[in-house]
Amino acid sequence: MEDFLYEAVEIIQTIWDGILFGSTYALIGIGFTLIFGAMGKLNMAYAAAAIAGAYVGLAVSMFFDAPIIMVFAVSATFSTFMGYLVYQSCFRFIPTNNHLAALMASVGGLFLIDEIIVHTTLGSPMNFPALFEDAYFEIGPFGIRGDLLFVFFIGIVSTVLLLYVLYKTRLGMATRAVAQQDVAAQLCGINIHRTNSITFSIAGFLGGIAGAMTAAAVGILSPVMTVPLTIKGLIVTVIGGLGSIPGAIIAGLFVGAFENFFLYIRGIDERDMYVVGLLFIFLIFRPNGIFSKTINRD
Amino acid sequence: MLLIALSIPQSAISAGHSLKVLGWGAKSGPLKSFGVNSEAALRSAVAEINAAGGVRMGDGSMVPMEVIGYEDSACKKDEAIAILRKTASTTDAIVGMGTTCSGVCQAMFGVLQKKRGDTSDSGVQMPILADTCIRPGLAKISDWSFRNVPNEITMYDELFKWIRTAYPNVKTFTGGSETDQGHSFITYTAIIVQMAVKHGFEWVGPQVPELGPKVKQGMKELQAAAKSQHWLMGDTNYTVQARKIKKQNADMVIVASHPFSACGFMKEMKRQRIKPKLMVGLTSSASQETLNGCMSAAEGIIIPTGFAPITSEAKKANSIVSKAGGFLDLHSAAAWENAYLVKHAVERTSIMGKPSTLQEDRRKFRNALASITSQNGLIGHLTRDGSTGEASKPYVYVQVVNGKWEVVHDPSS
Amino acid sequence: MDFYLNLINTIGIHTMLGLSAYLLLQTGQLSLAQAGFFAVGSYTAAILTVIFQWNIIPSVLAAMLVSGFLAFLVGFPALRVKGLMLVVATIAFSEFVRMFFYNLKWRVTRNGEEIGPDGTMGFAEIRYFSDNGWSNLEVTFFLWAFVILIMGFIWWSDQSRTGAVLRAVGEDELAASSVGINLTVVKVSAMTAGGFIAGLSGGLYAHQVTSLDHHSFTVLLGTFAIAYPILGGLSNVFGTLVAVIFIQGLLVEGLRFIGDWRMILFGILIVLAMNFKPLGLFDKQTMDIIKKAVRV
Repeated sequence: MEDFLYEAVEIIQTIWDGILFGSTYALIGIGFTLIFGAMGKLNMAYAAAAIAGAYVGLAVSMFFDAPIIMVFAVSATFSTFMGYLVYQSCFRFIPTNNHLAALMASVGGLFLIDEIIVHTTLGSPMNFPALFEDAYFEIGPFGIRGDLLFVFFIGIVSTVLLLYVLYKTRLGMATRAVAQQDVAAQLCGINIHRTNSITFSIAGFLGGIAGAMTAAAVGILSPVMTVPLTIKGLIVTVIGGLGSIPGAIIAGLFVGAFENFFLYIRGIDERDMYVVGLLFIFLIFRPNGIFSKTINRD
Repeated sequence: MLLIALSIPQSAISAGHSLKVLGWGAKSGPLKSFGVNSEAALRSAVAEINAAGGVRMGDGSMVPMEVIGYEDSACKKDEAIAILRKTASTTDAIVGMGTTCSGVCQAMFGVLQKKRGDTSDSGVQMPILADTCIRPGLAKISDWSFRNVPNEITMYDELFKWIRTAYPNVKTFTGGSETDQGHSFITYTAIIVQMAVKHGFEWVGPQVPELGPKVKQGMKELQAAAKSQHWLMGDTNYTVQARKIKKQNADMVIVASHPFSACGFMKEMKRQRIKPKLMVGLTSSASQETLNGCMSAAEGIIIPTGFAPITSEAKKANSIVSKAGGFLDLHSAAAWENAYLVKHAVERTSIMGKPSTLQEDRRKFRNALASITSQNGLIGHLTRDGSTGEASKPYVYVQVVNGKWEVVHDPSS
Repeated sequence: MDFYLNLINTIGIHTMLGLSAYLLLQTGQLSLAQAGFFAVGSYTAAILTVIFQWNIIPSVLAAMLVSGFLAFLVGFPALRVKGLMLVVATIAFSEFVRMFFYNLKWRVTRNGEEIGPDGTMGFAEIRYFSDNGWSNLEVTFFLWAFVILIMGFIWWSDQSRTGAVLRAVGEDELAASSVGINLTVVKVSAMTAGGFIAGLSGGLYAHQVTSLDHHSFTVLLGTFAIAYPILGGLSNVFGTLVAVIFIQGLLVEGLRFIGDWRMILFGILIVLAMNFKPLGLFDKQTMDIIKKAVRV
């Protein structure tokens, strides 16, 4: 009985930690899904731009000895700009029906960003400050990381902000219009390129926050984080349903919990295989994700 | 001058104008610091050698050593092999000096001729002197391969022996490692854990039936049992592993991992208020990168290393290399020492250094290098076991004290 | 000479890797699974020559068959997934394969030495060529015999009805199926053919580098595999060859002296190339110009 209770506590704790951590995946997933929803394209440079934002945030805070909240603010600002840049260089001028070229261009962007980070930092891991780093609450047998809670909270705030912009502003309405039916949107006088570049910028903003969040959650920044975060983000986006924001959120939290759970019970060697397995199950039985959209973009 | 020239017998060939070597390492990619540091170390050492007169060739003349290039292998197997073949077939370099990444060495050594003199083996015949490549089992791949690398078995053996006396209140231990990096994982399971057991520390991790003091004993069982307290080198979430280790409440925690994931794990330990009496790390993390990543979370960790600025030579080399834009640590200090190793080997035999004598020179150099059993390193003598080809070098134990690496014990003193 | 032959071999292997993605890309399917098939081919051929002491030719052919068969199995579920979800599915598949090999341990003792894949330590000493005294020239001829065969096969496909069918599916699936083309058969065949080719090149690669581990078979390799045909253009097999020569020959090797600027340059070049020539270097426009020039 004691063993069972002990295991139950451990499993609950593991799942809880996974959910909190999953908020970083959720934000990256939202970014991917926003762009997919708007243009039907995948921006492979997204996670790299997010991490690059975190680097710039870190650099600024180091040079100016600024408070930690500045790191998040600078990250978000820089990544917003990166989002705009990636749109202009990888998506703007490529014909909309050419998925291969746009994807390849964003892969080029990924290589570029990765190598610039390495070039500037010699690839060394860098300490990343976290707000409430020392906050750790113990409630009975459970431990709760204060800094992860804060990161989760920032995730919620960002999502609410995003949803507000999307559903309560004209800009958001334009974005949704272009996502639904871009020809009709054009006929209504909406400038597609302007709207898309703003969508990318908004996604970039979220990415910067996600990058800073992930770095804060781990406590270190390193160029090795870009590719795994890209893959995780893509998996979360697909499981959540391409184009669905609530899907990305739920999928992100779920994948975070799922992978942590399988790490606990099956160990590190099999953990990622289970995540891949989860994706395959969704692709076979529910290919449009948790929240399938009726509009099935190809 | 003319008289001297005329007095040389007709049949003698005069030596080439320099002793050429070519180096390579990771100058791009996440391990860029390896290449930058090793290049700075190599070039600085060569400059020192030349300032002191250079290298003595087969005809008695002193010529400068020349680093004809330091290429970027990006710690990728195919690139290193391409550079190796380029060096062997298109340059006059007598030896290839690279790299640091052990997986790459494994591939590089595989394209070399396995046993010298084996005419049925069409492998490349050029000596390679690597500046680290720590991993068990590399020495036997080829007769033409040499590494300047500490012997991890000896280092950890002596480390735990010393810890017994220096930290008498440390009795139990546990640990974790990154499993997708060959060197980290095998050193952890085959060497570090076993050596701790050998010196009487009690493993309080998950039950392992066969754990014992012999190297590699119970390795498989340890891997299987401790699976959920390991991580991958790029992981971002260490909560599960840290909780496992916290529950075990060990006096000593081993963190066998390269800087990024070692820092990730140690930071998580700090968050969860896990304060073991002692932390022990993997050799590769005794570097500036660890301090960059988690100076305060790493406080107190002890790691054996092949370099620390404790002797006058070491201090001098350290300042020269810093001026050249690199750091001296266990990886790059080996590159410095290798330059001197090359000089020593060349002067033990008669190298002519001319294009026509190239293959002959390489063979003689290989034989000379293989015959060296002892060589002055920066903090003591480098040694090599002639029969197994395994290298060994002096080491010290360093600890992060107030955010800096300090030497806490020098076993040779 | 050795160095140039090695470079020619690398170009050959990467060309085959690129061509393994070529056919499926023509049908409009973006698959990053080639790294997985390449890995399977590498390990299969290496296990056969090292552990079972097979001759290189049957080993490499067996590698081809195993990868091709795997591609066939993967093709059915994978190709029911639409568009960009296939990208994610194939990335996940490649990662799964990589994790499989990172766990694979198959050690055999021979002559007092342990050989074979050793989990995360990788698979060392795949020394068939040097153990059997092959000269570098012999290796190059051997390897390129396969490359030319594959290029010939793809050339034939492009010129024949097969190529037309592939391009039709790539152009407009609805129209293609309404003229009676079975989309599933076409896509799965393209994927299977890609698997064969990737497995073959993987088997040869294993013997060129003599040592394998999971680090070699990441998603990065998969992106290179599709980069070559996308950059080179999907109308002509020589586009892929030129792209490989440019990237592996000029950028990676020729510009080695600029160190990490190579990858920075590569990233910039890809972005520029996709903006100015989104259908690849040897797209229909360029091919028409070349054809006119040749005729004159």
